[in-house]
Amino acid sequence: MNAHVGSWLSGRKWILLAVGFPILVSAWWAFRPEKLLINQKVSEPSPFASSIDPRPVYTGRLEGKAHQTSGRATIYRTPDGKQYLRLTDFSTSNGPDVHVVLAPSDDKNLSQEIVTELDSVELGSLKGNQGDQNYDLPASLDLQKYNAAVIYCERFHAVFGFARLEQF
Amino acid sequence: MIRTIKTQLALAALALTFGASVYAQDSMKHEDKAKTLETGSFHGKVHSTSGRATIYQEADGKLVLRLTNFKTSNGPDVHVILIAAKDADDNANFLNSSTERVELGSLKGNEGDQNYDIPSGTDLSKFQTVSIYCERFNANFGAAPLEKF
Repeated sequence: MNAHVGSWLSGRKWILLAVGFPILVSAWWAFRPEKLLINQKVSEPSPFASSIDPRPVYTGRLEGKAHQTSGRATIYRTPDGKQYLRLTDFSTSNGPDVHVVLAPSDDKNLSQEIVTELDSVELGSLKGNQGDQNYDLPASLDLQKYNAAVIYCERFHAVFGFARLEQF
Repeated sequence: MIRTIKTQLALAALALTFGASVYAQDSMKHEDKAKTLETGSFHGKVHSTSGRATIYQEADGKLVLRLTNFKTSNGPDVHVILIAAKDADDNANFLNSSTERVELGSLKGNEGDQNYDIPSGTDLSKFQTVSIYCERFNANFGAAPLEKF
């Protein structure tokens, strides 16, 4: 009697195994859960990297605040370590005493059109309200902190527009 | 002769006064170099995905997609595709049969810098978003909407 029950159980086990194993295998194949834990790192070189050219390190799109402003702001680093901000496809409105400054992008002043006091790094007067233009950056500058390029009208404390700079 | 020069100078002065438009020399731009056409940042919620996608055009016109500072989760049958959409949200089943796509190949690695050739004749004004796409589950690991560099 005992032997009979035992063999019945092992027969059932066989069926369970025969059905369960393929299900487990296909579930593993479909989800490959081990891949969540295994990383596959690659590091392909840029096919056109050239060590003599300035390379972009930060970039962002300009958004208009007090005046319609558009284009791209990019910070380049030259091989000798100098950094500059370049505006491309740039357009803003002309105005009095307009400057290009860097400011912390989380500064709550930037969410307003008129600011009371802006913690900023001066890059110079705006060279033109349209077109591509470059501005040298001071040698020691914390770009982690000053991570927004701001078109700023000094006279009226107005933020014409700004770009949040993200790592290129 | 002198009058011509004077006229030209006067015209130049006028142009300078009225159009405060400058075109600084781009030291990056050389005829024989690759051009940066478009760039965008990855966002992803289904699987956290981060980094940057940039499309370069080589001197011979070939288009290359390059991922930098890239990180996503590893998974089965993950591909890099371009889709004809402005952006892709993070819904699991996001790609309808009606959404056009361009296949760029299997994801080479879930971390690190990597390049993918873009088939010639791809219309970048139409295919505006890069997606890290899990073919098996039709899941969007992350997407980067591209904007003009």
